Parts: sequence; C-alpha cells; structure tokens
Amino acid sequence: MGQKISRRDLLRGSAALGLTAVSASVKAAAPEPTAITPALIEAAKKEGKVVLYSSMDLPVGEKLGKAFEAAYPGISVQIERSGSERLFQRVDQEFASNIRAADVINTSDSSHTIPWKKNGWLAPFVPEDVAKHFPEQYRDPDGMFALSRVYLSSIAYNTTLVKAEDAPKSYADLLDPKWAGKMVKGHPAYSGTIMTATFQMVREFGWEYYEKLAKQRVMQVQSSTDPPKKLALGERAVMADGNEYNVVLLKEAGQPVEPIYPTEGTPTISGPTAIFASAPHPTAARLFQAWLHTRETQQFFIDFTAQYSVHAQVQSKPGRRKITDIKLMKEDPAGVEAMAEEIKTRYARLFRV
Amino acid sequence: MTATTDVAVAKARIDWSKPVLWLFAVVLVALILLPMSWLAVFAFTTKARNPTLQNFITLFSDPDFLDPLLTTAIIATTSAAICCVVAAPISWLVSRTDMPGRQTIRALVTASFVTPPFLGAVAWELLAAPNSGLLNQLYRYLAKAESDAYLFNIYSLTGVIFVISCYTFPFVFVLVANALDNMPGELEDASAILGGKAWTTARRVTIPLALPALVAGSLIAFLQAMTLFGSPAILALPAGFHTMTTKIWSLFQYPPKLELAAAAAVPLLLLTIALLQAQKFILGRRGYSVLGGKYGPPRRVEMKGWRWVALAFCLVMLLNPVFLPYFALFNAAFSPNATTLVTPGTFTLHNIVFVFTELSSTQLALKNTVILGTATATAGTILALVIAYVTTRRVIAGSRVLGFLATAPIAVPGIVLGVGLFLSYTRPPFVLYGTLWILLIAFLTINLPSAYQQLQAAFATIHPELEEASRILGAGRLRTLWRITAPLLRTGVIATWCFIFIGVMRELSAAIILFTSQTKVLSVLIYDLNESGDLAAISVLGIAMLVITFAVVLAVNRIPMFGGSAGAKLRNA
Amino acid sequence: MASVDLRRLTKRYGSVAAVDDVSLRIDHGQLVCLLGPSGCGKTTTLRLIAGFLEPSDGEIHVGDRVVSSKARTLPPEQRNMSMIFQSYALWPHMTVAENIIYGLKLRKIDRDAIAKKLAAILATTKLEPLAQRYPGELSGGQQQRVALARALIVEPQTLLLDEPLSNLDANLREEMRFEIRRLHDEYRYTTVYVTHDQSEAMTTADLIAVMNGGKIDQLGTPEDIYARPQSEFVARFIGASNVLKGTARDENHVSYAGSTLRVTGAKLAAGQNASVAIRQHDIQLSTQAPASTENTIKATVMRQVYLGASRDYVVETAGGDSLRVVTPTDAAVDKGREVWLTLPPDRCRALSR
Repeated sequence: MGQKISRRDLLRGSAALGLTAVSASVKAAAPEPTAITPALIEAAKKEGKVVLYSSMDLPVGEKLGKAFEAAYPGISVQIERSGSERLFQRVDQEFASNIRAADVINTSDSSHTIPWKKNGWLAPFVPEDVAKHFPEQYRDPDGMFALSRVYLSSIAYNTTLVKAEDAPKSYADLLDPKWAGKMVKGHPAYSGTIMTATFQMVREFGWEYYEKLAKQRVMQVQSSTDPPKKLALGERAVMADGNEYNVVLLKEAGQPVEPIYPTEGTPTISGPTAIFASAPHPTAARLFQAWLHTRETQQFFIDFTAQYSVHAQVQSKPGRRKITDIKLMKEDPAGVEAMAEEIKTRYARLFRV
Repeated sequence: MTATTDVAVAKARIDWSKPVLWLFAVVLVALILLPMSWLAVFAFTTKARNPTLQNFITLFSDPDFLDPLLTTAIIATTSAAICCVVAAPISWLVSRTDMPGRQTIRALVTASFVTPPFLGAVAWELLAAPNSGLLNQLYRYLAKAESDAYLFNIYSLTGVIFVISCYTFPFVFVLVANALDNMPGELEDASAILGGKAWTTARRVTIPLALPALVAGSLIAFLQAMTLFGSPAILALPAGFHTMTTKIWSLFQYPPKLELAAAAAVPLLLLTIALLQAQKFILGRRGYSVLGGKYGPPRRVEMKGWRWVALAFCLVMLLNPVFLPYFALFNAAFSPNATTLVTPGTFTLHNIVFVFTELSSTQLALKNTVILGTATATAGTILALVIAYVTTRRVIAGSRVLGFLATAPIAVPGIVLGVGLFLSYTRPPFVLYGTLWILLIAFLTINLPSAYQQLQAAFATIHPELEEASRILGAGRLRTLWRITAPLLRTGVIATWCFIFIGVMRELSAAIILFTSQTKVLSVLIYDLNESGDLAAISVLGIAMLVITFAVVLAVNRIPMFGGSAGAKLRNA
Repeated sequence: MASVDLRRLTKRYGSVAAVDDVSLRIDHGQLVCLLGPSGCGKTTTLRLIAGFLEPSDGEIHVGDRVVSSKARTLPPEQRNMSMIFQSYALWPHMTVAENIIYGLKLRKIDRDAIAKKLAAILATTKLEPLAQRYPGELSGGQQQRVALARALIVEPQTLLLDEPLSNLDANLREEMRFEIRRLHDEYRYTTVYVTHDQSEAMTTADLIAVMNGGKIDQLGTPEDIYARPQSEFVARFIGASNVLKGTARDENHVSYAGSTLRVTGAKLAAGQNASVAIRQHDIQLSTQAPASTENTIKATVMRQVYLGASRDYVVETAGGDSLRVVTPTDAAVDKGREVWLTLPPDRCRALSR
C-alpha cells in the first residue's frame, strides 16, 4: 500500500527544490485553469497530431506518447528527442528562421523557460489539475509552464564489477585514484540534466572538484540517459552523474546496477513542460499539456518511469526510495541561466571536449 | 533522274538547346557559389559585417582549436597510409591474379563502401568498447584475464583511425583496381618473354603503372578521412578529443558562433584544394583511359600454392569492415542487452518492435531518406549528364569553367558545405531551412563531382560522330542527347544513379547541421540514438538502412527500360 | 537542291588558320572533291559547311540562304544536309532499318511513306537481307552501305562525305568508288567529298579542289589537275612528278642542267626562277644520244629497280639533281651508265607557283 505524500513532506521537498514561495499576486497574472472537455478533445482530434520536443529517455518518452495516443485515438504523438541544451539551440535556430515545428517542449534545464518567456515564445495555459493539485510553489506565476516531473542525477555502480562495500558513497569518494578510468558521465553542453547538476555541484564544491574529477580519465558521453546504459553494458563500473530514474528502471528489469545517493546531497532536476505560442497544432498541444498533469499521467510517471511528481494525489511506488528520504541539493534556475555559458566553457576546457 | 523533294525541308525552329544548357549552367553556379560566398562573408567579417581577420586570430591563438587541427592531420595521414597498404595488394590480387573468389571479394569491398562509416563506428563500439565489447569479452574468456583487462579500446585515437580506414579503403581499391583492370596484357607479356618472373613483373611493370592510381587514391582517402564527421563524433568524444569536424559542429552549440565556425572551415577547404592540386600535378595531364581499348585482356598471374593464402588474407582484411560489424549489429538487434551474445534463450524481437511501432521518428526518417535518395539521385544524374555533355562536347562558351565547378564540391568538406548552406538558406530570399529542399541541395552538391566524373569518363567512350550523325539528319542537341547519347550511356547512367543514392544514405556531415524535426533522415536519427545510448535501436535501423540500399540498387539494375527509349537495346559496335 | 557557295571562308584556332580565305562555288548537282594531305584543312572546311564549326570570317551560302557567317551560324540540324562520316557513326543500339529511317522520323513522315522509301533504298544499296541486324554484326563494307543509305534516304539538299572509304580494304574501296559515282549520277545531289586519296578523287569528282595549308591550291577537273598542274605542290601531290628548278630564258624556255628546255604552261619572264614539272613516265630514257637535241639532258643511272610492269630509275643529272624515271621494261640500263633523257616539251609544265 502506498503512502500519500504528506504536506510536511511537500514542504521539505519544496525547500529542497528551491522553488521559493511567490507573491500573492500569482493568481492575477496566470490565465484561468482549463479542464479537459469533450470540446477540447474534438478540436484536438481535428488537428490530428502533436509534436513534442523532449529530453526524456527515449523508450520512456515513447511510452508516454503511446499512452496519450491510447487515451485519445486519432491524435498521433511525434517525439523529437535530444539533450535539453541541444533542444534549446534547435528551438533558437528554428525560431530565427521562422520555422514553427514544435508544439510542446519538455526540458530538463528549467533555466530555459526564462529566456523563452522573455522572448514571448510561450503560450499561457493552466491545466485544471495544476491549478487544483499542484502546490503553489511549483506553479509558474504567469502560467507559461508546468512542472511535469522531478528526478535526480545520482551516482551508480555496476554490481557485477564492484562489490557493495567497495562502492563509492560520496562525491569525495569519486576522486579516489582507484576509480580512475572506471567512470562515465554526461556533458553539460548537451544535457540539461547535467547542466543543472553541474551548476549545483559547482555551487556546493567549487570548480576545484571538477578539476580533480577531470584527472580521473572519465569516459565522456553526452546524454544523461547514456551513463546508466553504459553501466548496464558493463562498459564502466561507476557513473559519476546521470539519470537516477534510468538506473532504477534498469535495476528493476534485472540489470546489475545500483543507485547511490551521495552523502553530500544529490542534484535535483525538475522538468517543466511548456506550450509554444506558435504551435502548429495549438489545441492538441493544450490537450496534451492538460493530460500530462492529470493524476493518472503523473501516477504513470511514478509507476512506469521511476521519476517523481509534485501532484498532491499521487502515491509513491513501493520498493522505491522516497524523495523525502534523500538529501537533495537545491535547484536555482536563475542561477543556471546566469552561469550556463561559463559552465560550458570551463567544463570543455577541463574535460577537453 | 533528279530526286523529287517530297521530303519536307526542316523549317527553321527556335533552338531550345542553348537556353536550356545555359539554365543548367546557371543552376550549377548557384549551387556551388552561393554557400561558398556566404561562408566567406561570415569567415571574414564581424557580426556587424565589417571586414576583419579577427575570427582567424581568435581561432588560431586558441589551443582548443589547434589541437583538433593536429589530431585531424594525424588521423588523415595515418588512415590514408593504412588504406593504401590494405587496398593495393587486394586490388592486385583481384585484378591481376587467378586467386579464387575474386568476384566475392569485389562484392565484399562494395559492401564496405555501401556501409555508412558512422554505422560502422557504432558496430565497432559494440565490438571493441574496452569493457563491454564483444571482442574483449572473447579475449577475457580465452585468456582467462582480469575483468578489466582488454585487448582493444575503440575509444582512442587508434580506434578512430582504424574505423575510418575500414570504410575509406574502398576508394583506393576502386581506383587501383580500375587502373589494373585496364592495363593492357601485352605489357606484362613483354616482361614475361624477357624472362621476368611473376614477382619481378609485378614489381617492375604492374606496380609502376598503377602508381598514379595509388597516389590519386591515397589523396582521396586522406580527404575523406579528414572530412568525416560521424565516426569521430561517435568515438572521439568518449576518448576525450576533438577533430576539426566535431569542433566545427560544437561551435553550433548555443549560443552559435557562426563566424568562428565559418573561419574554422577555411583551413579544411584550403587544405583540400591544395591536395587536389598536388594530385593533378603528380598525375599530369592524364585523362581518362578509353574503356575497351584495342589491347588484350590482363594476363593473370598464377598464384599456385599461394592462392589460398591470398584468399585468406583478403577475407581477414574484410573481416573488419564487413563480417565483424555486421555480426555485431545483428547480434545487438536481437539481444536484450546490446553487447550480450544472443542465445536461443535470450533471443528477442523487442528491439525491432520498439523501432518500428513505438519509435515515433522511424517512419518519418525512413520516408524522408527514401524520398531524398531517389530525388537526389534522379536530379543529380540528369544534372551531371547534361554538364558532362556540355563540357565534353564544348557546347557553350566557358564550358571549362563549368567542368571545374562541377568538380569543385570535392574540395568542400561535408560539414563545411552544411555550414555554408545553413548561412545561405536561413535568410531571405530563399529560406529553405526546415524543408527537404535544403537537404536536397546539400546532397546534390556533395554527390555531383563523382557523378560528373563517372559520366564524363563514360562520354569519352562515345564517339562524337555518333551525335553529329544525328544532328546533321535534323535532330537538335537535346533530342540527340535523349535518343542517341543517353541510351548508349545506359550502364553509366544507372551506375551513377545508384552511386548517388548510396551517397545520400550514408551522408551525415551536412545533414547534421541542416535537419529539423520534420526533415530528419536516417543517418541523423542513428546519430541521435547514439547520443542517448540506444545501441539496440541503432542496430535495427542500421540493418534497415542497409537492406533498403541493397534492395534499391538491385531493383534499379533489373529495370530493362531504364534510361532508354522503348525497345532500345545495347549492342557493342 | 541548291548550290553551295564558300565566300572567303576562314577558320582560325589561335593564331593558326586551319582554313584560310577559301572561296569556292559548287553548282547544284555537282560533285566536288576536296583533296589534300592531312592537315590541309579539307575536313575543317567540310565541318564548316555542315555547321559543326563556326567560321572566324567569311560566309557560306546554300542556295540563296546564308547558313554560316561570322555573326550567325545555323546549327547542323537546320541545314537539310546529310553526311557520311569516316567512322560511319552507325548507332549501335539501333537496327540497320532503324538507323536508316532515323532522319525520316525526324521529319514526321508518315509510316507508309517511310516503309516505301526504306524498301527502295535497301534495294538500291543491296541491304535487304540485313535490315534487322545490328551494326556490330556487319562487315566494314556493309556498314558503309548503311551509312550511305541513311544519308541518301532523306534526299538532302547537300551531301557531305568525310573520307568514307578510308576504313575499307583496297578491293572494296575500288568497288565503292564507282558505286558512289553511280549513285551521284542517279540522284544528282550537290556533293562535297573529302579525301586524301587521289584515285578516289579522280574517279568520283566533277571538280577537284586541291587544298594545302588551309588554302585551295588549284581547282579544276581531274584532267586539268593531272595534266596541267599550276603549282609545285599539285604537281607533286597528283601523279608522280619530278620538279626541275632552273632559270627562265624567255616566255617558254628554261635553262636547266646545262640544257635548254622548251616548256608549256605558265608564261615566264626572262631571268626569273622557274619550276618545271614532268611526270616520271613521260621522260624518255636512252643509252644513245637522241636525234634531236631539243629538251635533252645527260644523266647517270644511280639505281634501277624492276617492278614487273615497268622499270624504275633514279638518275643524277650534271647539276647533281636526282630525277626518277619510269620506263617500259624492255631495256635495262645498269648503274653507272650514262644515259640521255628526253623531256617532251608538251609534257614539261612550267609552274606558276
């Protein structure tokens, strides 16, 4: 039997997530919440398609798409999967050339919503579920995006190659020479997850940490979905960062991997979803956004994708670590936006790619 | 008896030939010059479009830029050398000896050429990743070694060089084998009569005669290795280094540094032009040999006891581009874990089901790729045919310039062209970015030179009097081209079409810059999947790609009426 | 049918004039031969007439039309001409019949008319049994006849032949020479025939234009050219001639090798350098001094060869010149003997250039 997340849990979690409470003038700026009505569904079906730009792990994302198609036959979902940083560049490129291909975007770098809002590229839309069941701290005051999922970038190890007692327990452990040449990690110029995580790490430990980590001959991949897979293949013994949810899913599928939540704290990533104002299929986009944040879909996130949700009515899956039991690092989208250039440049200098 | 003229005199008509040919010329010029001009503009100006050399200064004073330049030089040189060392003996064995299985070896080399290099790189990841690679697993099993011992590490400079060589050596092979195929048998006869043994003849006669082709081939191999994007991008990043092409691509990351990207493209361009000039200089004025000359067929050297050794050597060499990678791909396609060996117990169709029913980009990518392949091949063949005609028969003034332009794109690396096209077509008046058109233009430009050269060589075998005979009887240039020349070129035309189709399938360097979500092609999809580590899906798509390519090539060669008027049959005069 | 008129026709390649200021009128129905060694410009002239080349200067008129000029040149397909090429240029992918009717199909003649004309020309050129064969299956002579048939069936205004017999063996060549003349007499097309073979020219032509260095050296009937050459070049090129260089005494006397020769032909001026041509078989050779001393020269036999039908002598005159003399076989004169050469005055042609 699952446990409901208590209000106290929520508050603890929200502090960790760093989404500070916003002023009371919230409700004035955001539009009225929209419910999923038969009229909305009919209009969406006429458009027949929704194009989603997402950085979610591919099979996970496609599963989500198939679930939407099953719920609303007649509307196909086309997912364009790429790392968030690369998606950000693509969106920029497309808007500069007046190309309107994307309807909805889910990114793992929440700092992206800041310039998008400034440029007026996003459409305000508040699903009913968000208005009713999402705590205020997790809602955008202007109603331009909604927090669809929350997850972590953790450490992990391959249980066939490393014994449990030898496994690293903290970030400091990763600097031990015995792990030289045995680690794999993602890249912040490509992956929003890694960008966000790196920001939090630098804030916590300074650049000296990465200077030392760079000397460990770490195998560099791009997406945060890749290190868990490399771990499962046995290509490396330890992952220094990557999607914790991928590790959990692989473990539950019988692969020899085990997540570790470092003693210093685990970087937290939130994945907002937004609708583009210039969406070619605007109504289908809104239906998708609304559907994405219903209790059923958010529960789906938890059950089938091992991610976390802030919907008040969802229940955590038994057998999995509760987010409230994990020591988390705080998120700071504004900080990421300010520091993004520097992170990319310095990281490239340190890791030589 | 005076003949009565009841045969009507051909009335003076408007001659459409010249205007149509001029139109083709204009298209060609626009195709090449437009992207190059924009590239130059961006490379030599600031954001405010003031002339400057600052972009170059920035780049060349930055070690982050000079290192990839050096790395690229090392990769290209070493690959070219390896290609020559591998391709020369194989071509000699296939062309001049009686080694058994010659046709099979040729077919396998063709298979190496058809395989996209980036797919080969992924397959080699499956084989030779230091810990999870199949070959390393085998090594550990056989040598009972430690769990972290390995024999091969594909994520290294050596690994990159190795994979690039695997898929570049067919270029050298084709050139050398062609030269050897056309070498008159009398030359080696002369040596034999004077007492030269097989090896002496090879050393003193055959090899020197094939040397120009070898030099030409090694330069092509160098250029290919220098300008590849897929293999370095897949293998070099985990290894921790950049090449010129991956560096240029990284300059497109947000915020894009287009001026630096254009400036970085210039050294590649200049180096390519210099090498091509060197090649011309070394080869002199040698034109294309007329096929089917009056000489006898090549004399085959008898290998006797060495026959099977030779065959074994060839097959072992071809393990690397063909047998091992294909095996790895098939294994990964049916395995739950990409580098676990499939057993009857673990065999699964899950990956195939995922790719074809769940992966939402599959259908779109397949459709785009086939459409682009067919369209580019058709348009490219026609364009190359007309331009080859214009230059071979010197139809309009300045046809030499046209010939130069048609081969000029060889000097432009794929990624550089991608950058140039991006700069040209993301602004008015032609905003083609986001449509399939920009990809068509890119693929057309990239494949035009080889198509043009093939058809030009084919033209050399057609006596101009055959066309003149048609014209004097009343047919204009275009009608003559259609009714006389093209049917006679049928095999050349078909070969060119297939060549371009294959070229489109395996193109990544330009596509990676120019695609958008709606205009994705298979090569880009595979690259994306590699970035997220979905190796099994790559294997399935890669196999699908190979199946499509082979199927199309076979089908096109079967169509009897392709390229000719109904009933046209080819007979050798 | 029309006349072909070349007016000051010139074709330059760089600084070299391949055809240099050539003027020639071919009346309608005439067969004119352009005869000369390779490089003399005859093929270039033919290709200018056909329209494959554009003139650098001068004009070509066919009938009352200007077909070629410096300003504008009509392309070959609009000239209503036919051509037989040195290589025959039969299209290997078409049958003999298809080759032949190609020109008719271009003129949009209806099927029945085509069939009738085809039957007629096949009969004329004796190609009936070969109509469905491919050119690759035919012998050289048969291919040549197909080329002929193809050219004639369209009843052209002008017929051009470019060394059509040079690829045939000697016997066939002889036979075809007469065939071509016979066909010309039957159809009476205005014909321009290019060859380097004098016997072909002599057999087939109404008029011969001997060409050298891009110019027409002499234009005349075969008899004119042979019997009354006007230049050293024509004298040497046609028939076998000796050319004696001496000094003119008066209008028709030339002093040479110590003797005086009475000559015919060009009017000379006293004191000028004169060239006199005489055919090798016109010189009479005797071991005894002839009765009349007119046009007699003393010489020594240097070489004598028995050729079956004649004897070929090389003799050296007092002046040191070598002459060749061809005599009947009766008397043989050995090397070293002194002989008297008699040069009949009416056979001594004074050359104007």
